[in-house]
Amino acid sequence: MEDNRIVHHPILGTYEKGNLVTFTYDGKEMKGYEGEPIAAALLAAGVRIHRYTLRQDKPRGFFCAIGRCTDCVMVVDGKINTRTCITPLREGMVVQTQHGIKA
Amino acid sequence: MKRWDLVVIGAGPAGLSAAIEAAEAGMSVIVFDENKKPGGQLFKQIHKFFGSKENHAGVRGIEIGQMLLEKAQKDHIQVELDSAVIGIAKDRSVSVRKDGQTREVQGQNILIAAGASERTLPFPGWTLPGVIGAGAAQTMMNLYGVRPGKKILMIGSGNVGLVVSYQMLQAGCQVAAVVDAAPRIGGYGVHAAKLARNGVPFYLSHTVIRAEGDGAVKSVTIGQVDSSWNIIPGTEKTFDVDTVCMAVGLDPMSQLARMAGALIEEKGGLVPTVDEYGQTSLPGIFAAGDVAGIEEASSAMLNGEIAGLRAAFKSGYIDEETFRTEYKKKKAALGDLRKGTFSPENKGRTDLTLTSEGLPLSENLFEKGFLTDEEVTKYPGVIKKAGVHPVIECTQNIPCNPCQEACAFGCIEVGEDITALPRINPQADCRNCGKCVAMCSGQAIFLVDEEAGCVTIPYEFDPIPEEGEMGTALGRDGSPLGQAEIIKVRKSPAFDHTALVTMRVDKTLAMKARAYSRKTFSE
Repeated sequence: MEDNRIVHHPILGTYEKGNLVTFTYDGKEMKGYEGEPIAAALLAAGVRIHRYTLRQDKPRGFFCAIGRCTDCVMVVDGKINTRTCITPLREGMVVQTQHGIKA
Repeated sequence: MKRWDLVVIGAGPAGLSAAIEAAEAGMSVIVFDENKKPGGQLFKQIHKFFGSKENHAGVRGIEIGQMLLEKAQKDHIQVELDSAVIGIAKDRSVSVRKDGQTREVQGQNILIAAGASERTLPFPGWTLPGVIGAGAAQTMMNLYGVRPGKKILMIGSGNVGLVVSYQMLQAGCQVAAVVDAAPRIGGYGVHAAKLARNGVPFYLSHTVIRAEGDGAVKSVTIGQVDSSWNIIPGTEKTFDVDTVCMAVGLDPMSQLARMAGALIEEKGGLVPTVDEYGQTSLPGIFAAGDVAGIEEASSAMLNGEIAGLRAAFKSGYIDEETFRTEYKKKKAALGDLRKGTFSPENKGRTDLTLTSEGLPLSENLFEKGFLTDEEVTKYPGVIKKAGVHPVIECTQNIPCNPCQEACAFGCIEVGEDITALPRINPQADCRNCGKCVAMCSGQAIFLVDEEAGCVTIPYEFDPIPEEGEMGTALGRDGSPLGQAEIIKVRKSPAFDHTALVTMRVDKTLAMKARAYSRKTFSE
């Protein structure tokens, strides 16, 4: 899971992170840091597709990462259209790829 | 309804600066921001800022952000986060939404400092996962420590595109190319040069044809455009990348000003018309920062301060003389930042050929991102001299002068005009302290001893080379020139994470080698 993580940055050094927590992505167990956006944890784990569009079933991932464009929405703990780029990761979260407007 | 002397919308550089100015004059101030953290985009800016000492030149954006927050805290300014302002009315009532609840507050004055949103460039495949905004890349890398991709293509060569591309290299990503449909690189030459010498190619007069991939980006194809923006057949090039990053401009978020009924004009996007103090056509409603016209953070801070100052004067918190004196200072500083090769009037121009000193602007720097070995000798920052001395490859009129402050021995002169090209005083004695190298926001200063074949470069990648290691000296264009032996590595709190790396190269390469790769050199 550390594959896409920057372990040491030349300017920023190490990053302040929350506790390592477990969540599920489409039923698979994954790890991430508490408080970071769900989208960051997914990106670190190599997950790129967040949802498929309603009419044309086209894949979408995060785009703006500041909660504006809504391309990154997923089903989180059963709640559709959750903006994963601004929703903090918590222990035990159930994150699912969104198909149209359902999991 | 709770009343405030000043209601600020947006806790970025403009909003916080205005709030601090107003609070220090004694006003009651509240700041709303829709984000979870204050600071706007400052905490994603890990490069050292340009400008003068007064506007924090040579200091990284993240540290400027920290300074603003500490000041705001000291001044007991109330900053409400997760709070989106959803409406303002002519009577200066402000509707704020937080946790699903809407409440109203009243402002004697209101400052709209909502910032800007990123523009996008639609092309076939642009909706694929892996096509992201430059801001998103910064957010992932610099706030959360996650690489946006392994190999990236950047669209847009303005300062945002250049700075974010360099940040990608710092994060350990590969940058396949920087692409721009314009014929010239839009951002500072010094920012482009940092990329070019580390091997990033520029494709000007090129645009994206399509991004492809099954489920996510796997490749992107670009092509050269003619003068009417049509693709020239046969010029297509495909790059295997997993990420396409867009830095194609910003749009002022002026919706609130429009909603309130302020007069709007077109100024690189729709912005409220403001007077010299930042007041819109509606009395008591101000706008500052990107929302009033896209500029950089240093100008945003000054504009914010001016608006805060004006509000304080109008509401009777400071007298006219104080206002005039302070305003004059800030106005002058702002004027300095708006001069030079990249001034608002020169934005987008492709016909500039000379610096204000009458020296030729390098076409090569505009098109490929680097100066040729011959060109570089024409500028006043580059002299030949025995022993170690600074070589300043600063060739465009950029408002910036920390180099002059950095040298305590009089080697470097910029003078009164902050945009003048720095000159080396051949009489002064360089002590090899390296402060100028670390202080230059454009990483354009090197210490060179031609006789000894020694070149000291600023180094901001991880890991930092070690003394004694052997690697490759790279030219301004990123090409491997020869073997380099690292003979000295200097780190200091005063250098703020910029390491000064001294490499020994063949004497003939001392005026050519400007970057270092840890790879072993091979012919």
